Amino acid sequence: MYAYLEEFWQHRELTRSFAMRDIKARYKQTALGAAWAILQPFSLMVVFTLVFSHFVQVPTNGVPYPIFSYSGLIFWSFFATTISQGTAAIVANANLVRKIYFPRETLLVSIILSAAVDLGIAAVIFGVMLAYYKVALSWAILWVPVLLLVQAVFALSVVCVTAALNVGLRDVGHAIPLLLQLWMFATPVAYPLDIVPHALRPLYELNPMTTVIEGYRRAILQGVAPDLPDLAIAVAITGVLLAVGYSYFKRSEATFADVI
Amino acid sequence: MSDVTVRLDAVSKSYRLHRGWYGSLRTEVASWIRRLRGADGADEMFWALRDVSFEIERGDVVGLIGSNGAGKSTLLKVLSRVTTPTSGSYTTSGRVGALIEVGAGFHPELTGRDNIYLNGAILGMRRREIDAKFERIVSFAEIERFIDTPIKYYSSGMQVRLGFSVAAHVDPEILLVDEVLAVGDVAFQTKCLNKLAELTEQEKTIVLVSHNMASIVQHSRKVLWLQAGRLQAFGDPEAVVEQYLRSMREQLTTEDPRDVVSKAMTDSDRSIRIDSVSLCTPDGGVPAAFRSDEAACVDIAYTIVRPVPNPVFEVTISDAQGYFLGGVTTRFDGIEIDTSNGSGRLRLTLRPLIFLKGDYAINVHVRDVHIQRYHDSRNRAAVLVVEGPSIASREVSGHINYPHKWEVL
Repeated sequence: MYAYLEEFWQHRELTRSFAMRDIKARYKQTALGAAWAILQPFSLMVVFTLVFSHFVQVPTNGVPYPIFSYSGLIFWSFFATTISQGTAAIVANANLVRKIYFPRETLLVSIILSAAVDLGIAAVIFGVMLAYYKVALSWAILWVPVLLLVQAVFALSVVCVTAALNVGLRDVGHAIPLLLQLWMFATPVAYPLDIVPHALRPLYELNPMTTVIEGYRRAILQGVAPDLPDLAIAVAITGVLLAVGYSYFKRSEATFADVI
Repeated sequence: MSDVTVRLDAVSKSYRLHRGWYGSLRTEVASWIRRLRGADGADEMFWALRDVSFEIERGDVVGLIGSNGAGKSTLLKVLSRVTTPTSGSYTTSGRVGALIEVGAGFHPELTGRDNIYLNGAILGMRRREIDAKFERIVSFAEIERFIDTPIKYYSSGMQVRLGFSVAAHVDPEILLVDEVLAVGDVAFQTKCLNKLAELTEQEKTIVLVSHNMASIVQHSRKVLWLQAGRLQAFGDPEAVVEQYLRSMREQLTTEDPRDVVSKAMTDSDRSIRIDSVSLCTPDGGVPAAFRSDEAACVDIAYTIVRPVPNPVFEVTISDAQGYFLGGVTTRFDGIEIDTSNGSGRLRLTLRPLIFLKGDYAINVHVRDVHIQRYHDSRNRAAVLVVEGPSIASREVSGHINYPHKWEVL
């Protein structure tokens, strides 16, 4: 395992190059360009506001619903992008995988890096909204990078498994959009965790995305630290999943070129 | 320090046919059950490499030869670590660079500049290293003016040049080259060959795959011959290439001379039927091998099935690997074929033979007056075995020793 990590570290420039390629190529020959990175979470925010704030009233502890949902949606978009593009990453680079050796996880990590750029662009609008709704930030915002790290590592460990499976079984790639849709509604993105029945809470806690999304809201909108016991559980789950997922990925890697 | 840079020990690579889950779920489940029972169907396995062992020393240039499907590409994939052997062990020392399908890592939307950095990183170069070599890469590829243009607007020749240029500047200890000598125009090929020669002088280890025996003999210090996944011979280029060509000849003569075209033609299609094609010397001798500096005759016997106006006989010659070398027709020499008789015989004399040592297929066709439609066609109707100067000596090359004279002026 250590040897794998060492090899990955030696290829960090390659990881960066892949990320740069994806960032530079993504909005080439588009009229709206980087605005697409904002449009995705922003339009969902508008729809959610209409449905969950005007048609039905979802309680949000006094936080204006648009900023409540957008604070969840930008981070969820980041997650959804990393999962769907990460799952497809090996197959999308089949011509490289068939011809040239390099640690294949560089492709997965580069997806996370390039998706982080989209997150950064979407966060600009978030900043404008924070100012508009006069949300006062506190030192608790320093939790955001920690939560981002947990989220990124969690996404990486998921795509280690799904990307490897997708090489031999393309059904995985088709199932991912559906799965992500269900997963979003099973995560408190459009609604707060408070309204989830207590019987279901233990299940929610098994989903690191619940802890992470709740954590962002607490840190940014309420100015308090995330729920630390929940965060500990999320970190533990992520750690185990990463160890299992990464070793599965490295074992599958040997036959990617034969199967792809 | 050991001077062995590549060592393969009993390396085998097998592929399960119908790998993956592309079949129906039922057949997949059935095959799982069979494997669980331990009845791993041997018929499902394809051995691309079998028990291959060899060592390559630093600074060696090894030519890799073998017919299509012999396992050359699989061996390159094992050497470049793209795939892992099913069994056996394998070690290399030093960075392995591959010139396999150059430019595989290009992104069409990115500029030449971006693609140099991207492709360089994929091939294992550090950013600082690329910075240092950037000017040389660009000028070698001759794309200075287009360096900031997205490469989707490049001609395919420009893309190939850029791909080779990046790969050639990676500066690996071990370089794998797959048929790269066939890329680009002639001027660029010369440049590539010089680059390879330069790398050889720097004591780099090179593994070269080519179907062109002349270039293999010219550039390799050792030749490795793969046949059906097994190592057939490894050693002196001339000896191994000789052996390989001899085996190609045996394959050629054991094959059914009646080819697909003539099988596809029934007697009702044929207006003229080629009955036999035989080789002899002008005095009627039938030697096992013809001498390059003497004459050989191709005798053709035919039957007129239906009279047709002015048929044209054509004799073409191809080398052992099926590459077409040349052909002549009766019309070119103003010979008229009389179709009023029921049958006839025709002799073509090649004087002098001028082919280099090797085996050549004689193909005979009868065509209509416009040399468009075939009345009959017999590929590999006879095999011409030639004794004489050999390309293995490096003193001659190609297939032909054309009439010539040197003078020191």
